[in-house]
Amino acid sequence: MGTLSIGIFSALVGSMNYDFALKLADAALQKGHKVNLWFSGNASGSPKKNQKHLKDYSHGETPLRKLIEKGLEVCTCEACSLARGIQKPDSIEGVQWNAMHWYLAKIHGSDRVLHIGGE
Amino acid sequence: MKLGVFLSEYRTDTGIIERLSPEKLGIILVGNGVYHAAIKEKGQPSPVLNLKADFYVLKEDLETRGLNTSNLDSRVKPVNYGDVVDLIFNEYEKLIWM
Repeated sequence: MGTLSIGIFSALVGSMNYDFALKLADAALQKGHKVNLWFSGNASGSPKKNQKHLKDYSHGETPLRKLIEKGLEVCTCEACSLARGIQKPDSIEGVQWNAMHWYLAKIHGSDRVLHIGGE
Repeated sequence: MKLGVFLSEYRTDTGIIERLSPEKLGIILVGNGVYHAAIKEKGQPSPVLNLKADFYVLKEDLETRGLNTSNLDSRVKPVNYGDVVDLIFNEYEKLIWM
């Protein structure tokens, strides 16, 4: 089994890249791989908890929580989240807050890396 | 190097990919990139498919856009998320997203 690190810069709402990243992470976890997920740029808005699940509207909280339960290690860029008005107490439990060095360290220890840029 | 390219846009300049010269190239069509696998313009398939590569398309993204595997160019293999994971770990050493 290997380790996959995914970096995502795209927002939860307005792009399907975020959805892709979570589904890929889920598939990799199901196959027994370790997965690290890094939120930066507009993706750093996605750890906000209490997202309302509107019909036919992007919703990231439930799938992200399920992935964390399955062993996904996820971290948001602290500066990026704070810049978007999200404070640590407002974030989904289990999401780590750190800086770019977290992502770099995970990349260094990974077998595969997929970096998905922003819009 | 064995390189896997995730192509997520339909309007993509293939020049970048053409300048890459990996020993093995795989192009995984996702998001709006799936149109490369199924749409012809003026009767011609996407020029992306003329690249020397193995082609894959994410079936879920294809079906999300009202297309299905019967629309696929014969050079493209439909895959699911699990297959993509296997491609990542077993077939390609480096990955890029375009």
